[in-house]
Amino acid sequence: MTDWAVIRLVAGREISDRVHGRLIRVMTVATALLVVAGVTIPSLIKGSSAPTRIGLVGSPAQVLAPTITRAAAAAKVKVALSDIADQAEARTLITSGKLDVALSAAADSAAVEVKSSLSDTVRAVLQSVLDDAHFRATLAQAGIPAAKVLPALQPVPVTTTVLQPKPADQTARYIAAIAAGLLMYVSLALYGGAVATGVAQEKTSRTAEVLLAAVRPRQLLTGKVLGIGSIGLGQLAIAAAAGLIANAIVSSTKIPSSVVTLLPSFLVCFLAGFLLYAFAFAAAGAMVSRQEEVQMVTTPIALPLLIGYLLVYAALGSPNATWLKVLSFFPPLTATLMPARIALGHVAPWELPLAALIMIASIIGMARLASRIYARGLIHSGPRLSLRAALQLSKGRA
Amino acid sequence: MSFRVDTGEIVGLVGRNGAGKTTTMRSIMGIVRPDQGSVSWREHPVGDADRLRFGYMPEERGLYPQMPVVAQVAYFARLHGMPAESASRAALGWVERLGLGDRGEEKLVALSHGNQQRVQLAVALVHDPELLVLDEPFSGLDPEAVDSLSSQLRDQAAGGKAILFSSHQLELVERICKRVVIVDRGRMLACGSLRELRERFPAQLRVRVDAPPDWASSIIGVKVVRSDEDGVVLVVEPGVDPQAVLRAAQAHGPVEHFGFETAGLVDLYRQMVLG
Repeated sequence: MTDWAVIRLVAGREISDRVHGRLIRVMTVATALLVVAGVTIPSLIKGSSAPTRIGLVGSPAQVLAPTITRAAAAAKVKVALSDIADQAEARTLITSGKLDVALSAAADSAAVEVKSSLSDTVRAVLQSVLDDAHFRATLAQAGIPAAKVLPALQPVPVTTTVLQPKPADQTARYIAAIAAGLLMYVSLALYGGAVATGVAQEKTSRTAEVLLAAVRPRQLLTGKVLGIGSIGLGQLAIAAAAGLIANAIVSSTKIPSSVVTLLPSFLVCFLAGFLLYAFAFAAAGAMVSRQEEVQMVTTPIALPLLIGYLLVYAALGSPNATWLKVLSFFPPLTATLMPARIALGHVAPWELPLAALIMIASIIGMARLASRIYARGLIHSGPRLSLRAALQLSKGRA
Repeated sequence: MSFRVDTGEIVGLVGRNGAGKTTTMRSIMGIVRPDQGSVSWREHPVGDADRLRFGYMPEERGLYPQMPVVAQVAYFARLHGMPAESASRAALGWVERLGLGDRGEEKLVALSHGNQQRVQLAVALVHDPELLVLDEPFSGLDPEAVDSLSSQLRDQAAGGKAILFSSHQLELVERICKRVVIVDRGRMLACGSLRELRERFPAQLRVRVDAPPDWASSIIGVKVVRSDEDGVVLVVEPGVDPQAVLRAAQAHGPVEHFGFETAGLVDLYRQMVLG
């Protein structure tokens, strides 16, 4: 049999074994639901954002209603105005939560009452309306026609030229960066862990010995990694598709198309990161003597994964920092950091091929090292191998 | 260590724990590489393709606990190069033949220890191997299962397979093996049919005399192998007349039994390994 035929068989068993498990189905549905929720809930919240209810107490305040409505619209602040007879009634309404702001005005002063706080935007709207009214009243008292003065008060037009424009879809890119980092971290840890557990199971159940009578360790390892990897990739694809469909239906969040086009590059990053980590996880799994030790031996591998994920948040703050750029080429961090950088849109065209080259080289190196440790570890009986012992063994004849 | 297993032949590998039986078998299966020496099959060094025509049952049994029986056996058949369809057919056939026909869809873990052992045997046999390497196939089996496995092995050998198996149950090895390989501390002590092995040792004389058991220890040219309630077992050196031994025995008391014994594997093993 050719290498590929064997690898396909092994991978096929991994896939059918897992697809038939209940856990995987629950996980797939849960991940998809989580993504759908992430897409739809923000839009639902946004849709229900209530206007600030402003009560106008007394006629001096009530005459300002049209001006307030206009100013609020200009400032994109939602307000709902109502006339209130007196201060006492306004207070009752505010304390009972039926009113947010009570405004009363006199000739040259005004008062605002709120329950606990007044938002800056609403305050600015009210202030500008009151200032304007006061100014016009003063002019009228002095007998100066407003038409003469007001042109002088027109704002001087200022042309703003943005030298480094923020992308219009910046918020979406931030969210995409966080989501990509999180998804990479969770899925790499999950499926990498699955590889380690699977290897440890085959070793501790002694199935490995029967397998090794027919297949080479290298074939077994590759098949296992590819099988579990395709399940991970499939699950991610399902989750991404569910998210896109949900978005198309709700459509109010408007995921910019620029973010959608990132999806393929995320899947490539997952694949590369998975291969790198899965081989390491497999070697770790072959070092245990009991299933319970898997957690312990995989912790050192999961650590750089976690660090890469945490660095995503540093990248949000300073996407152009050189040290982050450099770190994103460091293979153990690439899988989590690079997708985030891609999402933030600060990756130069030459960076991706370079990262891909470094990744491919390190995957090959890791696969070689891991397969030697794996081959020796699988048939090693006795206590758990230390990393040093495993490396020592791997240097011997395989 | 050098021995051969021919087609149609059952060869038993015996020796104490740690003697190197499992390592020998693992080397044949390519699971470990021997420090020195080589394994040949049909006059050429064994390669991966040859090993696909071998069937193996390791000492520590191992299969996927959560995998259904027939699917599992079929999977191993496919790993040995069988096409999907014939793998399934062969798996089903073997599962039925070993009396597990109605349990085929169940997970391995749901089966009793004895039945799991049968599945393990099915995995070793499903691809119709030319050589069977079985490490302690009889350990943990009840007498009925021992008989059934013995007759399976005889059938397989009669069908032209070469079979190598290890066991601590020497009577069993004696009963089913044509030839025996005795190993100790990584070296082969002896190899051959029981008769060939016997010829390497002087005949043993069993004498029962109504006298204290140390009567024989003073006779020159005679070694006491052991003594039990049926008398003493003696090895007579070449040149010593057995009749002289008989006379010496009669001098100590009435002789109830006097005769040469056919040494069993147990005796030969004791003499070779335990000295």
